[in-house]
Amino acid sequence: MKTFRVRMSSVAVSVVAVLLAAACGGSTSSGGGLGSGDLLVGVIAPFTGADAGLGPAYYAACLAAAPSINNNGGVGGRKVKCQQFDTRGEPADAVPAANQMVASNSNLMAVVGCTSDEAATVAPIIDRAHIPMFCMTGQSEFNKTPLQYFHRLVPADIYDAYAMVGSALYGPGHTPYKRAALVFGNDIGSQAFVQPATNAFTGLGGTIAINQPINLTSTSFRTEVTAMLATHPDVILTEALGAAGTYLGEVKTLNGGQMIPFIGTSATIDPTWFKQVSDAIGVQSVVDNYAGVDLGYSFSGPAYDEFITNLNAAASTFADAPKYKQRGSTLHLYDGIIMSALAMVQTNSSDPKVYNAKIKEIANGTAGATVVNTYKDGVAAIKAGKAIRFVGAGGENQFDQYNNSVSGYILVKYDSQGNEVKVASLSPDQTAKIAAAGGI
Amino acid sequence: MSLFEAAFGFGLVSMSVIALAAVGFTMQFGITNIINLAYGQVMITSAYVAYYLNRAGVSIWIGMIAGAIFGALFSFLLNRIVYAPFQRKGTTLLGMVIVSLAVSLMIANLLLPIVGYYSTSYHQDPGGLIRLGGIALTSNQIVIIVIAVAVMLAIHGLLTYTRLGKAMRATAANPSLARNCGIPTQRVVDAVWLITGALCGLAGVVAALNADSFAIASGAGFLITALAAAVLGGAGQPYGAMIGAVIIGMVTELSAAQWSPEYKDVVAFGILVAVMVLRPQGLLARRGALAAAG
Repeated sequence: MKTFRVRMSSVAVSVVAVLLAAACGGSTSSGGGLGSGDLLVGVIAPFTGADAGLGPAYYAACLAAAPSINNNGGVGGRKVKCQQFDTRGEPADAVPAANQMVASNSNLMAVVGCTSDEAATVAPIIDRAHIPMFCMTGQSEFNKTPLQYFHRLVPADIYDAYAMVGSALYGPGHTPYKRAALVFGNDIGSQAFVQPATNAFTGLGGTIAINQPINLTSTSFRTEVTAMLATHPDVILTEALGAAGTYLGEVKTLNGGQMIPFIGTSATIDPTWFKQVSDAIGVQSVVDNYAGVDLGYSFSGPAYDEFITNLNAAASTFADAPKYKQRGSTLHLYDGIIMSALAMVQTNSSDPKVYNAKIKEIANGTAGATVVNTYKDGVAAIKAGKAIRFVGAGGENQFDQYNNSVSGYILVKYDSQGNEVKVASLSPDQTAKIAAAGGI
Repeated sequence: MSLFEAAFGFGLVSMSVIALAAVGFTMQFGITNIINLAYGQVMITSAYVAYYLNRAGVSIWIGMIAGAIFGALFSFLLNRIVYAPFQRKGTTLLGMVIVSLAVSLMIANLLLPIVGYYSTSYHQDPGGLIRLGGIALTSNQIVIIVIAVAVMLAIHGLLTYTRLGKAMRATAANPSLARNCGIPTQRVVDAVWLITGALCGLAGVVAALNADSFAIASGAGFLITALAAAVLGGAGQPYGAMIGAVIIGMVTELSAAQWSPEYKDVVAFGILVAVMVLRPQGLLARRGALAAAG
């Protein structure tokens, strides 16, 4: 009997252990002077778990930005390095990761990443440590955030949702879709799209055929797909990172080999997402049926040229880095790191309390500021005594008083190689109608 | 077509996949006294073995056999190289749980640089939909059900009618007594690791095929459902694991049809918790480890 109890206790402990495992996966001187020793950029994001595809895109940004800085004198001679801090996409795991990052690294110059999965929990920690952060969260709670060190170079999710509605109603190559299925992951980040998309789509005469929050850790969605197909939607609006291949593969199978058009958020402009979905439903089905929304990037110019050169070179450290050549978040975080370095140079300080405010000034520019596109040109201009405005690989930024930078959307698709192809832009009139219907 | 009829059909597929994994897992525990938390990682590693063969042009059905063979050899070596030495040193059952958790993490982190974090899929046409009333399954799914039924019958035959099966049951019940009776328990344990490893590998390929898209992170999910079914049925009980698989597989699909799909796992694991409260030993545990059915 005792043996039996021990065995059962072990089973119970094992269950708990597995559930826990599943739930989880230099010095800076203060004041004047840039100090000495290496500087660190913390990349805090999911590198394992359902959203494991996000972290590498941000890590690639840092790997590209570091040589831009280091090959041009560093930050007052200090080299920039990158380190991953895995949140597993779970707030419970993100908090210790953030605390460990802040407590163990006094040389943090900036933090990038912090997706919607963990931003609400890690941003306050980073803010209390007075480290400038560039977060890839679209959560509306950051639209008017009091966090002084928070920066966001992408629009709030609400705009992504509106752009998807714009694609459904005004996108090229189809009549306006009337019935939409909302298929979003049940994670915090994905669910942020649901209400604004519902408001805007129904406000402009559409019908939500079904709203399906799906469990991203499930290995099958056949019943969910059957229920969705029974509502006969014209289009699927979706962000279900990690589960998209399974879900859409089952859509094709259960719909007699035919896909339903599907529109993804800007996070679906991603090489891991493309591979996952094209493996499941075939490349041609993605090319024919997928539409996405993205910020309007030029993918050209001196800033982008340097970015792409460094990104390709980063393949020696991270083989997949070159795949992020058109990933918006990679471009933006690359810019954020360079702006932070320029702010340090301009203030001649490694104290974030000093250089943090300068980041916004460098991004927005001041009257008469010299526009620079690379770290090298920025340092040269600063040494020449000029005020600068940095326009980087991701284009112009315009931070508001809450350090949110918003820019316009384009409608895109994939080509057969997985490259983003612009197919249309939303006109200001269309954007205004959607925003009005959505309630902004 | 009724959604519930369709969900019932999908439940047949889910329970088949879960049963393949859970029976191997629970037999490992029942006979070797090791709660092998690396089981899910062996499953996903086997799935990748089949994947690379499949990408090289080999049929997924051949890949499935290769995955089973890989799982058998990998599990056998895992026991011989890692688990058995710890057991010989008298490591407690709880200690072995931690060892297996460490092995699980090591496999995952060794596998990551090789396969990457990308989700991927087999090159395998799912086959046309075959309808039976409100149930619509692909030919692949029907093959999965047939494989699961055949394997369950084979396990039943092994445990009930063969000398090896009887030796396995004797070893599970009392290893010292079995040894004194002339049963070569070490060879029996080796055979158990080979057989359950093959089940593990087979289950990994079947689960990956069933999921349409899989990634290295899928291993944890595979383990949780296998563990849940095994615990629900009574740890160490192959027939209990089969019953557990039926319950978990059916409940997840039917609850997705009835309520919001985001809660389907909540419902399934809620039943698991309820059973554990009312009957902590699981549904069939009173029979003793590896007891025969009936």
